[in-house]
Amino acid sequence: MSAPSAHDKSPRAKAGSRAGRRGDRWIRPFFKQYRGALILALLLGVATYVFASALMFSSGYLISRAAEAPGNIVAIFVPVALVRIFGVGKPILQYAERLVSHNWILRMTSSLRLKLYNALERDAIFFKQRFRTGDILGLLAEDIGHIQNLYLRSIFPLIRAWVLTVLIVVCLGFFSLWFALAMLLMLSVIVLLVPLVSALRQGACEARRKTMKNQLYEQLTDNVLGVSDWIISGRSDEYTQTYRASEEALRGVEAKLHRASRNRDLLLQVLYALVVVALLAWAAFQFGGSYGGAADWIAAFVLGFFPLIEVFAPLPKAAVEMNSYRDSADRLGRLPHEDETAADTGERARAVSENPSEERPLSAPDDTPRQDAAEHISATPRAPLTLAIKGLAYRYSAASRSVLHDIDLTLAPGEKLAILGRSGAGKSTLAALIRGDLVPTRGSVELGGVATCALGDRITEYVGVVQQQSYLFNATLAENLRIGNQRASDEELWEVLESVGLGELGRRLPSGLDTLVDEAGLRFSGGEQHRIALARVLLSDVPLVILDEPGVGLDPVSEQLLLDTLFKTLRDKTLIMITHHLQGVSLMDRVIFIEDGSLCLSGSPGELAQSNAYYQKLLAFDTGSAR
Amino acid sequence: MAASVAYGIVRSPVKPNRTTRAEKRNRAVIDRSLFGLPGIRRILLLLAGLAVLAGSATFGLAWSLSSALTHLWQGAALSDQCVWIGLFLLCFVGVQGIAWLQDLLLDNYAHERADELRHKLVTAVFTRGPELVQASGTGTTTTLLLEGVAQVEAYLRLILPKICRLLIIPLLLVVPIFLLDWVSGVVVVIVFPFIVFYMVLLGRVAGEKAARQHRKYQVLSNHFIDSLRGIDTLKLFGASRRHGKNIYAVSEQFRRATLKTLRIATLSGGVLDLFVTLSVAAVAILLGLRLLDGSLTLFPALTILILAPEYFKPLREFAADFHASLDGRNALASIQTMLRGARPDAADVSPPSLPLWNNRARLAASGLGFTYDAEHEAFEALSAVSFEVSGFTKVGIIGASGAGKSSLIQLLAGFSVPDAGTIHVNDTPAPSLKRADWHSQIAFLPQNPSLFHATLRENLAFYHPQASDEEIAEAVAVVGLQDLIAELPEGLDTQIGEGARALSGGQAQRVALARVCLDTRIRVLLFDEPTAHLDIETELELKARMLSLMQDRLVFFATHRLHWMQSMDLIWVLDGGKIVESGTLEELRARGGYCSSLIRQLEGVEA
Repeated sequence: MSAPSAHDKSPRAKAGSRAGRRGDRWIRPFFKQYRGALILALLLGVATYVFASALMFSSGYLISRAAEAPGNIVAIFVPVALVRIFGVGKPILQYAERLVSHNWILRMTSSLRLKLYNALERDAIFFKQRFRTGDILGLLAEDIGHIQNLYLRSIFPLIRAWVLTVLIVVCLGFFSLWFALAMLLMLSVIVLLVPLVSALRQGACEARRKTMKNQLYEQLTDNVLGVSDWIISGRSDEYTQTYRASEEALRGVEAKLHRASRNRDLLLQVLYALVVVALLAWAAFQFGGSYGGAADWIAAFVLGFFPLIEVFAPLPKAAVEMNSYRDSADRLGRLPHEDETAADTGERARAVSENPSEERPLSAPDDTPRQDAAEHISATPRAPLTLAIKGLAYRYSAASRSVLHDIDLTLAPGEKLAILGRSGAGKSTLAALIRGDLVPTRGSVELGGVATCALGDRITEYVGVVQQQSYLFNATLAENLRIGNQRASDEELWEVLESVGLGELGRRLPSGLDTLVDEAGLRFSGGEQHRIALARVLLSDVPLVILDEPGVGLDPVSEQLLLDTLFKTLRDKTLIMITHHLQGVSLMDRVIFIEDGSLCLSGSPGELAQSNAYYQKLLAFDTGSAR
Repeated sequence: MAASVAYGIVRSPVKPNRTTRAEKRNRAVIDRSLFGLPGIRRILLLLAGLAVLAGSATFGLAWSLSSALTHLWQGAALSDQCVWIGLFLLCFVGVQGIAWLQDLLLDNYAHERADELRHKLVTAVFTRGPELVQASGTGTTTTLLLEGVAQVEAYLRLILPKICRLLIIPLLLVVPIFLLDWVSGVVVVIVFPFIVFYMVLLGRVAGEKAARQHRKYQVLSNHFIDSLRGIDTLKLFGASRRHGKNIYAVSEQFRRATLKTLRIATLSGGVLDLFVTLSVAAVAILLGLRLLDGSLTLFPALTILILAPEYFKPLREFAADFHASLDGRNALASIQTMLRGARPDAADVSPPSLPLWNNRARLAASGLGFTYDAEHEAFEALSAVSFEVSGFTKVGIIGASGAGKSSLIQLLAGFSVPDAGTIHVNDTPAPSLKRADWHSQIAFLPQNPSLFHATLRENLAFYHPQASDEEIAEAVAVVGLQDLIAELPEGLDTQIGEGARALSGGQAQRVALARVCLDTRIRVLLFDEPTAHLDIETELELKARMLSLMQDRLVFFATHRLHWMQSMDLIWVLDGGKIVESGTLEELRARGGYCSSLIRQLEGVEA
């Protein structure tokens, strides 16, 4: 996929070695972080059950001892004290364990989130376009939730059970080496063999269930979207039957899983019973044979085991669930490394998507990284900020067809350009090249004498973008606007709101600029959202603005009003408008049509309307006087 | 278990607060809606019977183990205890054996109930269709069908045995405890209501605390996903790097807020634990003291010590799964609401059948109204709409966004049923057009026609699955899809749709048109903004092909793109849910009303 090009600095081998360690980037490193809290949480978890077991142990001893020596209160003084300590201590330890482990998990979540954010940040511009279908972002955010669960429900219980097993065996070892070894054998079956076998056997089944469920999800979504077609065609029953058949198949797998866990639990119970009997037999052999005395210990050892059943019971399930976290870990593992060069990211990031859309002209910049800003800090565009595009060509990889070729274009400061063309013709790719998000395969894009792709994040000081879908953050209106310029004063915000035609709306908001944008009942319409996006760009005060299909999704009247505002407020700036129809185009200085990656028509709208038959035809069609 | 209780608290603020109504209804500890399920009596009786058996087995294991222990303590030989040990083994495994049986029983019962709900729901979706889906959203509908029903199933499996055990086992075990030693009996009986009281109390306090901070929680917990969704915007303004620090800070803020709530929330679990352990400890000490003064012997003491934790176990299990079961409970409530909300289905009542539309047919409506039941307020989308069309008229429908164009198309397509007004087809009255004999002669072409994940051939022949290769080839030629097919690796047999080869908007529109070509029964075409998001050159190419399909058909064409109006015989101008003007383009232009001002607004700038 990532064939080398002139700009490719990272050989494949490097990417390969990274792939090796990518699996554990998201889980294992966090064992090292906040290690103190982690160890404390595990210790508290173990101690809780040590206390629970000790409570029954000392209780068993207490009553045996009391029964043996009636009237002798001194004889049971120590066991009574111990019963009190363990009885009070166990719930307190458990309470502390929950708080400490949650605290650790939530801390780790903060780090995980930052890590995920940083991994996505580098490639942010292309991310959405790449994953247009499906809510990949929601999935990734959920993956972090799954990793939380992995710790809480699988890793912690497993470690706790293993540590307790070792403790039991060591303690018994003081009395009898042979019995300790026998116990180790029996407990190993419970804490290692059964979970392992469950994980292997049910794991496959569980994976199959998950795949079936996902398929069913896709199938159902697909058909619910097309529900009107099913109804019109009179074939609804056909689908309901198909659907129920798929559900029935899924049920088959689920019933198998349920049966397996039912039988497994029964087997485990037999094992626990055997352990209890073994303890009883061993204790009788070791301490029995006389009335009371050493025999007081028999009840203690037997009863002490009962609370531990609670530790062992969740293990098989925990082990089976480990499998289902693998998907999450894999998905996160395929993300670009948060500190690797952008060059490595393309292939990996694209692999995250199971369905790279072929229609999208904008895809991962495989072999054409934006240079790191730091390396070129010296180069600063000089006035006049002319945009000069010379012999530009672009292709995603050496093997693929070029998306753009032989583009020459010069845009003087203040000039207004409209880019038209079919979807997929390369309009958006051209815009990305202008902003420097992509590096030309051939030719150059320069702004004020500096290649835009060399500017790094400093491009934001020169080029602003009004996106097709402007995103409003769930924050106050002021915070949303200040994304354009952090230092803008309230007066400036009002001024800019006024100029984009939102002054009236702003004054009507209950808390003015400090109103949260999604507060109950307050929803900004599509047109208003575009205007807020425009306000951000105005605040950032850049000399060149790219409008990416600015009126899309609006009705024609709202669109025209928006365009009027756009042209009025951006009058002094260099303007590039990408559009798929002709509304507003007549107000531009120049129109270019892109077809199959090259300029096929270029001129001022006035000239074209006069002399070009194709343009005349489109114009006539669009304004409605065509026949 | 330790984790899952608290985990519910951590996650619950993340959920949107749309379930509030259902949650309020569900405050009661035991969900009443369970008792409305078919066959619930039988299953509850069976479960109760099994719980009695389980309680008896538990008593048996305590009895036999204590006997063995007591004898051994008295110095008896291990070999003499075989009977007791055997009995213990039997009872201990028996308890789980009963659980095994119970699980088997419930697995089937829960599946049957879930399957029933699923069947009702999927039938509702695929007969009532778009109306229902629109009201709840595609995402919610599929999630409810797949996750919701599964959650209900898990909920039934989880909660029914727990309820039975909670109600029966403590009652059953307290009897032998009392008989063996009344003091211990009093201790465990007194503690029980205390535990319930404190748990409910602390649960409320924690719930209220969480509710008070709900808004803050929501903002904090949604901050991360919000940032991810807007990450490209941040990047475009060069603000993305510094925002990383922000993410960490907000996440830490969330952690601190969560821990504050957890301190109380976990306390309710902690109190349960404390009471249970303390009462076991108290029982042990009391037993010890009374053994000392000789008023008790070892055997009853041991039996009670083994029984005491078992007595509390059902309560602990119920509490542990209470939070986990809330999802299932809410899902059951939402499904029942969705099924109840079904409007009477006109398709079932079959008035005289509609003939195939022809050039003398007449469709008349008067006083049509349609109201959406939004969550908080009803929205009147159409009111007092009257019209009459006949033969193969082409009707253009224009108006600003929100004027009611889509609602009208939905009524005309028979996807929704009007709340008011009458419809006549050829003088035959029909309560609505939601009927199979109307659906079979219409085609609906929305902005984004749905393509199924199937081969291109199956998609093309969707309305007419028996179409021959020649027919398909002809339709492909009519709509201009030859180039695409030539490009596809497997031609007509290439998989398209989600997750496979994606088609562009223009190509999808062509597939929808080809479906119309192939089905000769189709006499009525309904378009809802079919070209709104297409580029002008594609629209230009498609226009001629669409117009040719409109011949000899009744057409309703809702659009913002006014150039289509020249090809229409009749234009309806909608505003505020009413037809405000109606006539040919020339008439409307001449009249100088809303329509011509709309045209002026659009053309004024261009001219």
